[in-house]
Amino acid sequence: MSFKGGTSSEGSTDSAATKKSSKKPKYSKFTQQELPACKPILTPGWVITTFIAVGIVFIPIGLASLFASEHVVEIVHRYDEDCVPSDYSDNALAYIQSTETNKTCKRSITVPKQMKSPVYIYYELDNFYQNHRRYVKSRSDKQLRSKASESDTKDCDPEAVSKNGPIVPCGLIAWSLFNDTYRFSVNNSILEVSKKEIAWKSDQQYKFGSDVYPKNFQSEGLIGGAKLNESIPLSEQVDLIVWMRTAALPTFRKLYGKIEVDLEANDEISVVIQNNYNTYSFDGKKKLVLSTTSWIGGKNDFLGVAYLTVGGLCLFLAISFMLIYVFKPR
Amino acid sequence: MRGWEKVGSSRSNLGRAGSTVTTNRITSTVRLGRVEPQAPGHRNIFCNDREANFLVRFKGNSISTTKYNVLTFLPKGLFEQFRRVANLYFLTISILSTTPISPVSPITNVVPLSLVLLVSLIKEAFEDWKRFQNDMAINNASIDVLQGQKWVEIPWKKLQVGDIVKVKQDGFFPADLLFLASTNADGVCYIETANLDGETNLKIRKALEKTWDYLTPDKASEFKGEIQCEQPNNSLYTFTGNLIIQKQTIPLTPNQVLLRNFVLSVMLEKRMPRALEYCNGEKGCSLRNTEYIVGAVIFTGHETKVMMNSMNVPSKRSTLERKLDKLILTLFGALFLMCLIGAIGSAIFINRKYFYLGLTADVEDQFNPNNRFMVFILTFLTLITLYSTIIPISLYVSIEMIKFIQSTQFINKDLHMYHAETNTPASARTSNLNEELGQVEYIFSDKTGTLTRNLMEFFKCSIGGEVYGTGLTEIERGAAQRSGGNVGKAQKSPGLIHEKGFNFDDARLMCGAWRNEPNPDTCKEFFRCLAICHTVLPEGEESPEKITYQAASPDEAALVTAAKIFGFFFYRRTPTMVHVRESHVEKMGKVEDMSYEILNVLEFNSTRKRQSVVCRYPNGRIVLYCKGADTVIYERLADVGNELKNITREHLEQFGSAGLRTLCLAYRDLSSSLYESWNEKFIQAKSSLRDREKKVDEVAELIEKELTLIGCTAIEDKLQEGVPSCIETLSRAGIKIWVLTGDKMETAINIAYACSLINNDMKQFIISSETNEIRDAEDRGDQVEVARIIKDSVKKDLKKYLEEAQHYLRTVSGPKLALIIDGKCLMYALDPSLRAMLLNLSLNCTSVVCCRVSPLQKAQVASLVKKGARKITLSIGDGANDVSMIQAAHVGVGISGLEGMQAVMASDFAIAQFRFLSDLLLVHGRWSYHRICKVITYFFYKNLTFTLTQFWFNFQTGFSGQRFYDDWFQSLYNVIFTALPVVILGLFDKDVSAKLSKMYPELYKEGIRNAFFKKRVVGIWAFFSFYQSLVFYYFVSTSSSTSQNSGKMFGLWDVSTMAFTCAVVTVNLRLLLMCNSITKWHYVSVGGSILAWFLFIFVYSGFLIPRDQNNEFFVIYVLMSTIYFYLTLLLVPIAALFGDFVFQGVQRWFFPYDYQIVQEIHRHEPEHSSRMELLEIGPPLTPDEARSYAIAQLPREKSRHTGFAFDSPGYESFFASQAGVYVPQKAWDVARRASMMRSRPKLPPKS
Repeated sequence: MSFKGGTSSEGSTDSAATKKSSKKPKYSKFTQQELPACKPILTPGWVITTFIAVGIVFIPIGLASLFASEHVVEIVHRYDEDCVPSDYSDNALAYIQSTETNKTCKRSITVPKQMKSPVYIYYELDNFYQNHRRYVKSRSDKQLRSKASESDTKDCDPEAVSKNGPIVPCGLIAWSLFNDTYRFSVNNSILEVSKKEIAWKSDQQYKFGSDVYPKNFQSEGLIGGAKLNESIPLSEQVDLIVWMRTAALPTFRKLYGKIEVDLEANDEISVVIQNNYNTYSFDGKKKLVLSTTSWIGGKNDFLGVAYLTVGGLCLFLAISFMLIYVFKPR
Repeated sequence: MRGWEKVGSSRSNLGRAGSTVTTNRITSTVRLGRVEPQAPGHRNIFCNDREANFLVRFKGNSISTTKYNVLTFLPKGLFEQFRRVANLYFLTISILSTTPISPVSPITNVVPLSLVLLVSLIKEAFEDWKRFQNDMAINNASIDVLQGQKWVEIPWKKLQVGDIVKVKQDGFFPADLLFLASTNADGVCYIETANLDGETNLKIRKALEKTWDYLTPDKASEFKGEIQCEQPNNSLYTFTGNLIIQKQTIPLTPNQVLLRNFVLSVMLEKRMPRALEYCNGEKGCSLRNTEYIVGAVIFTGHETKVMMNSMNVPSKRSTLERKLDKLILTLFGALFLMCLIGAIGSAIFINRKYFYLGLTADVEDQFNPNNRFMVFILTFLTLITLYSTIIPISLYVSIEMIKFIQSTQFINKDLHMYHAETNTPASARTSNLNEELGQVEYIFSDKTGTLTRNLMEFFKCSIGGEVYGTGLTEIERGAAQRSGGNVGKAQKSPGLIHEKGFNFDDARLMCGAWRNEPNPDTCKEFFRCLAICHTVLPEGEESPEKITYQAASPDEAALVTAAKIFGFFFYRRTPTMVHVRESHVEKMGKVEDMSYEILNVLEFNSTRKRQSVVCRYPNGRIVLYCKGADTVIYERLADVGNELKNITREHLEQFGSAGLRTLCLAYRDLSSSLYESWNEKFIQAKSSLRDREKKVDEVAELIEKELTLIGCTAIEDKLQEGVPSCIETLSRAGIKIWVLTGDKMETAINIAYACSLINNDMKQFIISSETNEIRDAEDRGDQVEVARIIKDSVKKDLKKYLEEAQHYLRTVSGPKLALIIDGKCLMYALDPSLRAMLLNLSLNCTSVVCCRVSPLQKAQVASLVKKGARKITLSIGDGANDVSMIQAAHVGVGISGLEGMQAVMASDFAIAQFRFLSDLLLVHGRWSYHRICKVITYFFYKNLTFTLTQFWFNFQTGFSGQRFYDDWFQSLYNVIFTALPVVILGLFDKDVSAKLSKMYPELYKEGIRNAFFKKRVVGIWAFFSFYQSLVFYYFVSTSSSTSQNSGKMFGLWDVSTMAFTCAVVTVNLRLLLMCNSITKWHYVSVGGSILAWFLFIFVYSGFLIPRDQNNEFFVIYVLMSTIYFYLTLLLVPIAALFGDFVFQGVQRWFFPYDYQIVQEIHRHEPEHSSRMELLEIGPPLTPDEARSYAIAQLPREKSRHTGFAFDSPGYESFFASQAGVYVPQKAWDVARRASMMRSRPKLPPKS
């Protein structure tokens, strides 16, 4: 045994010595570029299979989405033009900017189909660039969140400070808060508009402080929009919270409130609108929207159509490729 | 030590010491007035006298090859980084983004820039640190220096000019030394300079007789010489100077100079790591066969010749990278356009009617409707910062990283390119040019040592008009076969002697039989000439069997070996004598030791093309033996015996056409008076300080005339292994191979035939200066006339051949064309007026052979094609004469192994054998090209797509430059979320296996045509970028514009996060779609990148960060609480990739690339691993290797189910059996072992 051990150890030192002087690279799958790999080849078979698979998955989803979207009842009512009295129709801007004029406007809407509660009330603005760079940055999240950062208004120009001190909430976004109001009644009974849970919870809970109260807001100079009740903390000012989640596109809807009762088909809803908000200077439209929701949300044909288009195209291509494959194989 | 302290103290009272020294110097100059006028700058060195030298302030001996030090690292390193345009651009953008005009916060640009800089700086620092360590190791190596009366060890860096040092056997020379004395008798020492000049023999250096005694410390301390010599320069082979000792002026020659170690310095200068280890392991430029020597330091540190010589070779950039620059410029153009559109839009848009924007009277300039031009300018700048991502910042770093790994891990470690016999792996000396290897269209190859083995064998000779030697060369055999003759195996004589350098068979000369030949005296002169006229050094025991010859060229060794076998055994060389053991005619069968005094050696150089030795026989006869190229010898022959000359010339041509290398031998008897008068002139020439070489050559010319022709030798130059098949493969790959050689036309053509570069079906165009007309003109001797005639004939030939070539090209199946041109004609053809014609003609030829060309012409030809035809060229060569060609071509390849390092040092890639070129080009080059193209186009695509979404968004924000994405998204997009997969792609993507790449060389043509990175390809990518960005933006923004099922609405940041998620997912999936092979690393990196995004956004939006705006707070959770998120995440990537998918499918189906066809032909074959063959070759396996081999051999089940990593059968029991644990046998186990035993019989069977 010992002899055997001796030779083997000798052998190993020997080979170690030869190895040291040898510059032969060591074998490894990495250096020899022989790592195991799967080699996908996009053969016609695979192309056709993939198309069919996508088609099979996408078309049902598209149909389901479209169906759900069709199921949503949505009433869109534009009122910005109609709510200007006829004597001001050539000069809507003067009408809206004047403090003297009566801004109340009564409209009636017919419910086309039954609308199950909750019925969501939106206002839709158009040509309103909430995503303009100057607008987007004109806010102070710190100030909104805590009382201590009240004077943190460096991004808020030109609505940062008043002569009485910093404006809370500061900035253009808050300053231009939408201030039309709607009151609904159906068959002379008033429909309650609930403002519960119209803002995302995370906004309400964390981004807007419960100890921060409006201060010096809309107190001087040009009034941009709604005023805030200074006795209610920001975390309860849901309209402001909704408004402050700036929209991505210049045409956008914002949730105004909810009606927690069902609306029957052919109900006449009368709406009393306080038409305060100035969209006339920039030719923006104002619309009132009543809508129910389905599992995919509000009325949204786009997703369904897109799914159907992609799925349909895939199936179409699959079939045409198959025909080519059959009649003119490679 | 006392003497040394004196130096220190002398510094303090410098004035006094200085004055004494100055006076010394003046007196000595006055005294030595008869010294020849010196070159304007020279240095005077006082040996062994530090005080005297101190005044002159010679540089110290410490070297520093580092780029930076602690203080300069940051500024200098950053400066280096910002010399890159991309980095500078991003620096500008970062600065812009700190100003209020920026829509994004500075982090958007600063984070990626700093990451990129950080990576680059760490790399720089690491490399510099290694260099520093090398420097330290070298500077601190110790050397014996004379201090007072004894040797004291000091580190190299403390060495000063004028010091006396002792270098022991195998030691390195710490500086350039003047050789004073050696332990060998007669004051010689031997040095090895293999890495300096590629010559493997030992070199003799001989000290001046005057200084032989200064060997022991006490003697040496008496040495007070003054050296006057040239200023430091970079000429390695020249040295002019005088030693003034004991009032005598003795001229110094390069023979007394010992150069500082070359390899070390070069490697350091080239910034190669581990230089010291390398040198210690290798035979460097060091002292051999000598116990020790004593020398005086002449040049130190950076002033040593080798350090001065280390040129900064400008680094080459690949063609693809230069094309990439154009792409980047195009992107800048696109950026400019996008910004312009946006800026114009914003200037039009801005209006006070949008009261909610608060555009009061004192609004800042950027939004001031009263000054729309200012709005335009500022928005333009704003948009530049916003769209800066269109330039892929991490592209260069990623490519560098990929190429670095490709070259160090793949090329350097490829077992296919490892040459076991010389123990040389391939080595990529630069990582810049990997993809260039995939596009080479022209190869310029040296012949000797590259195509042929540089293994010279004495094959035939012609003595006194008689041919000896019966062998047939490969070329002759090939020629015979081509002409239909059948050549059997040559009959071998029974007593055939075959040793290295000798492959000669002719009984008439062997074993002394030459005495019976008609002209034994000529034979005797022939053999003596072989035995005496050379610069070979014998090594080892002085017996014919054991001796080895060290020679500058293998030809010389072969000739001396031949002389040995013919009975003229050269066995000892002393500086003055050559000892030869001769078997004489007169004394039959007896041997006699003869010693010839070597009076002068007139060395070989490329202008002289000959070598002469003047020797004195023991009986006083003085003879000049000369051997050299036929042309130069014939010019110098005496005007008698024309018949012999003509016969020998015939023989020369005959040898030449057999592919043999010939040398003419001649001698001249000298009278002693003639010799003495000549020798005087010679010594004078030798000691001149100016133009010494030229003068020596002129003097040599005086004696090398009126020679008597003895005969000529023919040496066979063997082809390298696998050359013909490699050349065939390469030409099938569409690569044209040009042979550029210094050899004769016949030899070159024959080698070309042997290598299957030329065949009989080809139409040969020969432009030669060996026409009668030109010869006649040359004989008349009017140089101007000769030039005119050659030029005219070259012009005529070129014109004629060009017309012919164009005629053949028009015909459908014309023959392939070959052009053969010799150096003299080439000189005129390269003239600007003919250059275009030459280029035109040669580009139409399949192969081109240029013979008799100088190194410079080789380079000219290479750059002719490179610059004139704008084709990608590669030069391959092994010797110093190929260096210029290697540097001139796009890619330089050096043959490493046998000859010296110079070609390798100048090269970009070094391989051991010509045949590895097919691996280097067809496999590595092709893959690298594919990969880098994919990486670049992918980078282009992903950044363009990303930036375009912002661009579309901007249309709907009143062109205000509002950012679509959060700052952090934008900054991490390039460096985290999409960084790694593309690197993996650049490393692992493999369209066809190495075997198939070589099996179908035609695939390489796609690289030559640049099929994967041309405008059309980039255009298609741009189109799909465009499409995808539209999908991202419009699908996401449109579908999100209605309420969610809770009735609530999304804001800007919800939409942008959704779009970004889709973009990250799509861009990563797109990468998988473009992969030809998907390894687990692909999955890991792609999955990891997507996962990294989600992890990031979960954390990032999960907390309220103390920032001014918390736009992203909770956004991802809000998104994920809606069904919309999932529907969109499924829809958008698929819709976005739909276009690419259709395109790829259609492209492969209807317009497939060649590689795709090959893929499909072989799609069902498992990729045959070359593991077996790789492990079969070379020395037996070490246990470690055997183990890794065995693991690699374990059965791998193809299964969709990937279970527990160690669950695979075989794995466990394999290790158990290694550890001696008993494991029950399983059926597959036996099968596996059986297969292992079969394939690896050397592996000991396991119990």
